[in-house]
Amino acid sequence: MSDDPYSHAAWVDALRDGVLLGGRCRECGWTSATPQAACLECATRDLEPTTLPLEGTLHTETTVAVSPTGFDAPYRVGIVDLGATRLLCRLEGDAAIGDPVAFAGTLETADGEVAPLFTDADQSP
Amino acid sequence: MTDVRIVGAGMTDFGVHDRPLAELFADAAVDALDDAACAPADIDAFYLGNAMSGQTDGDTHLAPTLASHLGMAGIPCTRFEDACATSSNAFSHAVRAVAAGQYDTVLVGGVERCTPATGLGTDEMTAVFASAAHRQYEQPTGLTFPGVFGLLTTRHMHEYGTTEEQLAAVAVKNHRHGTLNPRAQFGTETTVAEVLEGPVVASPFRLLDCCPFSDGAAAVVVTREDAVDDPESAPRVAGIGHATDAVPLATKADLTATQSARDAAAAAYAEADIQPADVDVAEVHDCFTGAEILAIEALGFVDTGEGGHAAVEGTTALGGEIPVNPSGGLKAKGHPIGATGVAQLVELTDQLRGEAGERQVPDARYALAHNLGGDAATTLVTVLDGGVSA
Ligand SMILES: [Zn+2]
Repeated sequence: MSDDPYSHAAWVDALRDGVLLGGRCRECGWTSATPQAACLECATRDLEPTTLPLEGTLHTETTVAVSPTGFDAPYRVGIVDLGATRLLCRLEGDAAIGDPVAFAGTLETADGEVAPLFTDADQSP
Repeated sequence: MTDVRIVGAGMTDFGVHDRPLAELFADAAVDALDDAACAPADIDAFYLGNAMSGQTDGDTHLAPTLASHLGMAGIPCTRFEDACATSSNAFSHAVRAVAAGQYDTVLVGGVERCTPATGLGTDEMTAVFASAAHRQYEQPTGLTFPGVFGLLTTRHMHEYGTTEEQLAAVAVKNHRHGTLNPRAQFGTETTVAEVLEGPVVASPFRLLDCCPFSDGAAAVVVTREDAVDDPESAPRVAGIGHATDAVPLATKADLTATQSARDAAAAAYAEADIQPADVDVAEVHDCFTGAEILAIEALGFVDTGEGGHAAVEGTTALGGEIPVNPSGGLKAKGHPIGATGVAQLVELTDQLRGEAGERQVPDARYALAHNLGGDAATTLVTVLDGGVSA
């Protein structure tokens, strides 16, 4: 794993430990839910690793019924609004846009990648 | 800087082509060269759009291969890759190079094979397409491209009340236009009921909300203004905008704005010195029905949030206020990824020459192409002027 506290490797390690690792710009406060080398708003490189909330509201969603190789459809993919930022995730449960959802672990793909999994907030462990 | 004009245009039928990429591309390129009355020796450079040949055909370093097949080995050949916006980006660079005086005459084209004729099934080709999504923060969720536009469109439906019936109306319109285009992959009409009865691909999209997998090629020849003999048949490139938005999708500030399209449109309108209302005909990137709704809002043809009404009310149909996708669009004409951007320009060249047959928009002067790539991260907007006096 990388020593960089805000790398993909660190993000994956955090995810597996139940932590959503984000980055907050020390200049302007813009926050990302996935690693960036620089702020998307002001381009400063001074991003501070930050722990994102484990609950948010569903911003949008789709049910994928025709999947790529290595995935078994149907399944839901959503974008969760975590307040300061948004995160794309696999979605379990029935949440509609605006409903509360909670981080519920990781999805490990056949090729060794990891994605965050969210579910209806009232059904989370 | 000199003005640049399209002097030749050609494309293959879009559909299933079980042939080598070089042979497929040559059909479009020879038509464009002959239309321009250009010999291969007149071409100073070749700009190629191809997004996926390494994955679909096991074939890379494609540009010199295609040029050699056409007898043009020796000239500079450059390949572009920007997902579905691939060949309009090649076109943009070709036009800028001619305008800057680097070359006099350039061949620009695109070619792609995406159907099962490649030997790849639906799940495999869906994976190839999905490789244009973010490798670490999108692909591992199983997000597909219908899914990308499903996310954008579901949010649009939530914010503005856009309905599945309104989405279906876009498919109905573009299928109707496609019946008037002999090069279109789909030559049959459909109905709102038929669209709504189809199987879901990625909600809210059903099968007929989605463009097909297509093979095909398209090419144009561009040259400097003072080399053009017959300006009436050579549309002037009046403006090009090229903009990007944040990747991955979740970091975009606004999921329904398709901001790269708004920024590209603003740049293209400014360079052409026109307003959205001046556009007489448009080819827009309707990879999914919802994408056309987002596009016509971003281009300023309708107010933001009102896009769902346009196809239902006939605003964007042939005969309507602003005909959109007279070719049938990606939806009915087909979408061979790297060929799509130039194919839009081939259609618009036909329209501005008055050679579009039954789908002709009468007296069209300004024509606009909107070509979007990736998770709405790249958009090129091109404005062509068919008027003789620039
Ligand atoms: Zn900042």
